[in-house]
Amino acid sequence: MTEQGFTRRQMVRSLVGGSAVFPAIVQQLLADSGDALAPKAPHFPGKAKRVIFMYMSGGASHVDTFDYKPKLAEAGKKGEKAPNGRAFLPAQWEFKPRGKSGLYVSELFPHVGECADELCVIRSMKGDHMDHFQATLGIHTGSVSFPRPSIGSWVSYGLGTENRNLPSFIVLAPKLPYAGSQVWSSDFLPAIHTGTLVEPGSEPVLNLRRRTPSDDVQRLELSLLERFNRKHLQQRTGDSDLAARLKSFETAFGMQTATPEALDLSKETDATHKLYGLERGSTQGFAWQCLVARRLIERGVRFVELIDTGSFGPANWDAHENIKSHEPLAKNVDQAAAGLIKDLRSRGLLDETLVVWTTEFGRSPYAEGTIGRGHYNRAFSSWLAGGGVKGGVAYGQTDDYGAEVAEDLCHVHDFHATILHLLGFDHTRLTFRHGGRDFRLTDVAGNVVHKILA
Amino acid sequence: MGALQRRTAGHPLLAVMCCRLNPSWLCGGVVLLALAGAAAAQNDDDFEFFERKIRPVLVQQCYVCHSAKASVVQGGLLVDTREGLRKGGSSGRPAVVPKDPAASRLLTAIKQESNLKMPPGAPLPAEVITDFEDWIRMGAPDPREGSAGPAPSPYNFEEAHKFWSFQPIRDPQPPRVQDPLWGKTAIDRFVKAKLDEKKLTPLGLASKRVLIRRATYDLTGVPPTAQQIDAFLQDASPNAFERLVDRLLASQQYGERWARHWLDVVRYADTSGCNSDFPIPDMYRYRNWVIRAFNEDKPYDQFLREQIAGDILAEELSEKNLEERQARIIATGYLANSRRFGSRKNEFHLTIEDTIDNLGKAMLGLSVACARCHDHKFDPIPNRDYYALYGIFQSTRYAFPGTEVFQSPRDLTPLGDVKEAARLRQYQEEASKLEEQKEDLVAGRASKGLSREERRKQQSALADRLALLETRFPDVPKAYAVTEGTPSDAQIHRTGNPRSLGDDVPRGWLTILGGRGLPPGEKGSGRRQLAEWVTDPSNPLAARVMVNRIWQHHFGKGIVQTPNDFGARGGRPTHPELLDYLASRFRESGYSLKAMHKLIMLTRVYRLASGHDPNNAVADPRNDHLWRFDRRRLDAEEIRDSMLAVAGTLDRTMGGRHPFPPDTKIKYSQHRPYIAGPEVFETKRRGIYLVQQRIKKQPFLATFDGADTNASTAKRTPSVTALQALALMNSSFVHERSDEMAVRVGMAHSTAAARIHYAFRLALARPATPAEIQQGVRHLAAARRAYRDAGTPAEEAPRAALASYMRVLLASNEFLYVD
Repeated sequence: MTEQGFTRRQMVRSLVGGSAVFPAIVQQLLADSGDALAPKAPHFPGKAKRVIFMYMSGGASHVDTFDYKPKLAEAGKKGEKAPNGRAFLPAQWEFKPRGKSGLYVSELFPHVGECADELCVIRSMKGDHMDHFQATLGIHTGSVSFPRPSIGSWVSYGLGTENRNLPSFIVLAPKLPYAGSQVWSSDFLPAIHTGTLVEPGSEPVLNLRRRTPSDDVQRLELSLLERFNRKHLQQRTGDSDLAARLKSFETAFGMQTATPEALDLSKETDATHKLYGLERGSTQGFAWQCLVARRLIERGVRFVELIDTGSFGPANWDAHENIKSHEPLAKNVDQAAAGLIKDLRSRGLLDETLVVWTTEFGRSPYAEGTIGRGHYNRAFSSWLAGGGVKGGVAYGQTDDYGAEVAEDLCHVHDFHATILHLLGFDHTRLTFRHGGRDFRLTDVAGNVVHKILA
Repeated sequence: MGALQRRTAGHPLLAVMCCRLNPSWLCGGVVLLALAGAAAAQNDDDFEFFERKIRPVLVQQCYVCHSAKASVVQGGLLVDTREGLRKGGSSGRPAVVPKDPAASRLLTAIKQESNLKMPPGAPLPAEVITDFEDWIRMGAPDPREGSAGPAPSPYNFEEAHKFWSFQPIRDPQPPRVQDPLWGKTAIDRFVKAKLDEKKLTPLGLASKRVLIRRATYDLTGVPPTAQQIDAFLQDASPNAFERLVDRLLASQQYGERWARHWLDVVRYADTSGCNSDFPIPDMYRYRNWVIRAFNEDKPYDQFLREQIAGDILAEELSEKNLEERQARIIATGYLANSRRFGSRKNEFHLTIEDTIDNLGKAMLGLSVACARCHDHKFDPIPNRDYYALYGIFQSTRYAFPGTEVFQSPRDLTPLGDVKEAARLRQYQEEASKLEEQKEDLVAGRASKGLSREERRKQQSALADRLALLETRFPDVPKAYAVTEGTPSDAQIHRTGNPRSLGDDVPRGWLTILGGRGLPPGEKGSGRRQLAEWVTDPSNPLAARVMVNRIWQHHFGKGIVQTPNDFGARGGRPTHPELLDYLASRFRESGYSLKAMHKLIMLTRVYRLASGHDPNNAVADPRNDHLWRFDRRRLDAEEIRDSMLAVAGTLDRTMGGRHPFPPDTKIKYSQHRPYIAGPEVFETKRRGIYLVQQRIKKQPFLATFDGADTNASTAKRTPSVTALQALALMNSSFVHERSDEMAVRVGMAHSTAAARIHYAFRLALARPATPAEIQQGVRHLAAARRAYRDAGTPAEEAPRAALASYMRVLLASNEFLYVD
């Protein structure tokens, strides 16, 4: 994988030349050809084999969800002001200790609260930018200014995938997030690692729907195409690129069936539907996304990103005017996310699946207007579950008001370094040379948070 | 290390200077430079602890503000000598007291226990703090004698000049070769000598049929027509190929193909890239300027000069030469197209970085922007050089496309007559004044003492005035370009942080390329001089980089295989003498691209077959030495344009302005960014005329590895994905083209055999074999049946079956690859 244009594929093209035995040679070529999506071993055995990355769009408040600040409530009641002159605004929801661990989770997430003993809440997150666009890029790519490969693309690049009939990195998002498709772009990594947007409906993936009126017509076309391509390849000894393209139609044909099958929830039981809070037949909301995510990772997809909503407020977490607008958003996510954790646990998948819940930044502990909160990147909360992290723990602390990280800072780069570590990567060695520089997800920073590893 | 020899006044570890916390990101390759003798000699265990654990942290974390190298030493503290640490800073208290951690202020600062918290930003990892504590307990052993003295230049430029790409361009004599077939052109002799040296036997020549397809795609990006193929095959004269090349170079399609290569390199986009991705309705003028420049064979040095300083150069022309004056202004759209950031105007330093990054890579093959935060780690580009260039662009006024907070575009350059220009200027000034006032109110700057009600009233009054003003928007011709701003030198942004300013750096040129400054009394930004410096014949990079790009687009790879990086981390030329030979001819021709194409194409090596040879494949698997011609997949635009071309529906007219919303309706935010809908994407013109957005890629181009609109694309790396197969099987684009092609073929011929034959000639540039015709006839019959079975009315089934056959041709490897 160098920029000098030398790929193993080209090497193979030359080395195995001379023979024209089919189709064995095609298989051989493909097997050896540096196939970018073939499963690959990480630097060391990782506990997590795959990731479900839930991203809350707009900036979810930490002091109203996972970072319990009783002093903030007092300060709010007494009318105390933050150093910038604004009034402290207490959490608008009650917090309770949950599970055996007694981890505090607010009433916004009662179902997630039931999973407290699975959660590792990081209360000391910090990002580099306080605008949505940049912070959204930051939490996905590690860079707040220049587009870079998404974390899902890095994971696909590092681990490949288990199922060639589905993309390795799938995004389920009802709307475009801030920064658009840059959020799941592979950027300078090979294009095959770009996130594939999957939507409910008749064409879940761009161009997936057969446009011929019957399967038969398409089969006729593909079989003639294969004959064309085989003959063409025979005359062009050992070109693995041509062989790979020949094969890609087979995969695409497989995707036409595999994708709808993965999205078809009809065989899921009523109990499962209930667990996620999903009405049978519905393809709406986070519940649908979570259940589909489980089916995708069961089928070998490496990285599934779930974005709950888009860039457009007030229908996202950007609660400038009224923090109460968090309520319907949390309701959309809560039971579904909890259902997913429970379902993964009961199916024995949670230990190898890392579930991530995050947002681009938190919200100010002081009020904007009377009951809104502003953007806040100096401190926010995220949580991890499964995949080799300790359950029932909180890592890091903010000060009494949730205003500054007071202990165990976890910068976005540290967060990324830890996720990669859980997958078996030394984040400083998962690199790609581009423009004369070895790039990595964590730029020039990042420390693995060893304390939260199980 | 190649080019880079650092003077190591202190210690080799100095080289890890740039990387905060974790130096491995690119330092893995930093060979740690000549060991300085003195310090290395004393290697007692204690000193070793210092060298391993302490010095690197001091260098990385502290030197930028606390060493003789710092542009302003903060708090009077120097940590680059033992004496400095013991003495401490302006507080008068020592920073380090041997064996007394509690009294060592350095330790309390890095533990962040007192008010003084160091370093700024993230605290040091706990293990590092423990190291410091241990070291102080040990007695703080520190071998660094005396004071550091004046900061040395980080590079030895005399040594650096010896690196191949900084050497002057030579004009080497082509070597003699035995084989008479390879003796006819200088290029062939250079190539064959290398093949002989490596004991490689080149393949034979490609057939004429292969050759016309190859040459036509290379120069125009669309396939040859059946008539063009016939004419070429029938032309038995010795200069048939030369005539073909001449015809292709004279076609408008040539400019449309080669301009796209340049647009890749300059990360062209029709939107700004800010968080709302504002459309730039006038950007297309620059795109068309590039196409015309290629078609007119504008000398390459002039091509560069106009993009850097066209607005200034326009002043040299008489008022009457309006068209050319306008063209030069439009050319500076190159600079204006730099990426925008954020929602306001306050991240402009990133836009300037993007300009410098792109100019460095595109015109010089150097990653100059790496020197934004520190001296370049591999190439001899000091931090100061970056700010010498920065000053030039800081003194330039870029057209402003609008952002979330300041919605009105401004500083566009009027192209019309004086009256129109005045109207535009007046409008822009009024609009920005109102917007600034509004923003001041919103931000609370102008609203002290106003009641909320009052403020709201004022805000709404301003909004009304803006709305009223917009109804008077002067729809006059204008360019998204740059003009001269207020000239000033830049201050260094320490560690790239624009809020931490250091020394003034006079505007000037890269030291390694001569390092000239502006003449005394210069009133301009310095772009006029920059345009000269870049294109000065003494700069070996501009010409080398461009001939390498031309070679790259003919052979699939450059002589230097990292076309944007001619620095120490880039590739070395496979044929260094050939590269210089080409650069010399380029210069001699007055920088004519068309002459360069002919020189390269009228050779034996260009006409080689793309086949296979088992022996060569083992000796040179990458074909670095050109024993054959590399087969290549068509790029995204070629695939799209070819499908339109063979369907007979390619609209060959030049594209104009995109159907963006009217200027006054352009109002976007990060919440609702501009997303070009399918209606603006659709066109049957060539792919170069498609909207290029920064926040979202055009889907077809994205699927087939199109260019990055956010950063320079030096070369397209073709991938093979199932999504591409899906697009070829199912996309509406492919289905529409195959339907059109079926109509075209069906109208032209009435028998199945004749139709298949014709379709082959259109799509694959060859006749079908009898077996292929039989196979095709069978497919048509089977497809007709399948369509009828699927409920397609009987009278429509034949056309549908023909379209089905066309789809197969359009998805075939023979169509998608060029031999």
